[in-house]
Amino acid sequence: MKKNPYKVLGIKEGASYDEIKRAYRELVKKYHPDKYRNNPLADLAEEKLREINEAYETLMKNAGSYQYQESYSQSYESGSSQSQYQYDTDAELEHRIRSYINMGNLNEAQKLLDRMKSRGASWYYLQGLIFLRRGWYDRGYANIQRAVQMDPSNFEYRNALNNLNRQSAGYRQNYYYRNTYRQDPDMCNICMQLWCADTCCECMGGDLIACC
Amino acid sequence: MFGYVEPDKPELKLREYEIFRGYYCSLCKTIGKKYGQIPRVTLNYDLTFLYVLLDSLDTAPVNGRRERCIAHPFKKRFVVYSGSSADYAAAMNILLTYYNLRDKWADEKSIISGSGSLMLKRFYKKVKNEYPEKCKIIKHHLKQLQELEKNGCEIVDEAAEPFALIMRELFQGGHIHDEMANKALGWMGYNLGRWIYILDAYDDIEEDIRNNNYNPVVRQYKYNGENISEFKRKILEPVNFSLTYSLSEVEKAYSLLNIEKNKGLLDNIIYSGLIVKTDKVLQGRGKENEEKSV
Repeated sequence: MKKNPYKVLGIKEGASYDEIKRAYRELVKKYHPDKYRNNPLADLAEEKLREINEAYETLMKNAGSYQYQESYSQSYESGSSQSQYQYDTDAELEHRIRSYINMGNLNEAQKLLDRMKSRGASWYYLQGLIFLRRGWYDRGYANIQRAVQMDPSNFEYRNALNNLNRQSAGYRQNYYYRNTYRQDPDMCNICMQLWCADTCCECMGGDLIACC
Repeated sequence: MFGYVEPDKPELKLREYEIFRGYYCSLCKTIGKKYGQIPRVTLNYDLTFLYVLLDSLDTAPVNGRRERCIAHPFKKRFVVYSGSSADYAAAMNILLTYYNLRDKWADEKSIISGSGSLMLKRFYKKVKNEYPEKCKIIKHHLKQLQELEKNGCEIVDEAAEPFALIMRELFQGGHIHDEMANKALGWMGYNLGRWIYILDAYDDIEEDIRNNNYNPVVRQYKYNGENISEFKRKILEPVNFSLTYSLSEVEKAYSLLNIEKNKGLLDNIIYSGLIVKTDKVLQGRGKENEEKSV
């Protein structure tokens, strides 16, 4: 059963071209694979994104503007599985651990990880990934932080750590963005603005508040 | 119970607040109808949230009418009517309260929890007949939780897991059959449970240190007799991350659900209520004007 594309994008029927596009952009951001990286719901998010792309394409076709069928989903591939490591056993293990993590088989991944001999930065990184995937964010964060400290030049580790910070900060920001009443101008602000306005008026030769 | 999951009232529309209260009343009345008057006092907000959430996955419009009840005999209030979600949430409410009281009785020996759990026992048995599988799984996790607490587990993540798994079990609702929805609900439950457990632990630091009770946060960050508020300040950052990140995962799971109604109310809880509560507890205002039941 095909869903109503307007409902998928969360807009009213007959929404304008700009509205559709804006809603589409918002949703792509919301279900972006980066946000769901290393998350057990990644497949659901992907499905959702596919639905959104489909809906968007349908609507755009109806609007007769084929050239706007840019589809976001193809342009993101996980850039983490290149194996430029030498072929010693640990590197091989690491490769297998990564694929187990990607499949969501955490017990198997943990077993292999315990077999790795060297406890280098990559070990802590992988351990961190496994913890995160299990929902153990405190441990996960600590392990990834450790990996970054041990190998500060590694882009992937740093990226993962930044991503963690961004996710939790992003959730908070969403709240500040939604709830503006808590940042409404307080008395101090209002006085300041009045004073500014008064000063400006006086500069121009007039006066807003006579007493100052 | 804990009762941390609440809407952010100042941001709520009046209509949404009415509806939330309507669900709350409805859950209370359902408990009364199915299990009798006594267990109605066990009603709590976490389960009300679950009830609203599960009911909102259904396309049927919100139905209700104005009624009186024992708690508010003079004023008629709006009460929502819905079938299976209410029954399910009512049963889970009893289940959770019963286990919680027994757990409290086991480690604090307070008379209230002891007699409370005795009083609830027969209602619990009824729930057990209705949902034998759920009861078994939840009991198993609770046993693990007691084990961890007895052994003085020093890893917050690990200590939070059994309760998180219990919440996962509750959220994977009995009557929702869509596999995808259940997966998202389960992950949401896990992370919400984790959040509740850690937040509760942080909230109870003073009390637990004073009474020498087990507290995973106190254990992990190795409290050594220093000033308590200094200790709390010291651990604020990692605890804050752990809590906020859990909530960001709740949000991710939530946004994958097909919410058919009550979107404003649910959005309010997910995007504001939870973070407001987090900040209240982290700033040490968690015990203020609480409306916790039991």
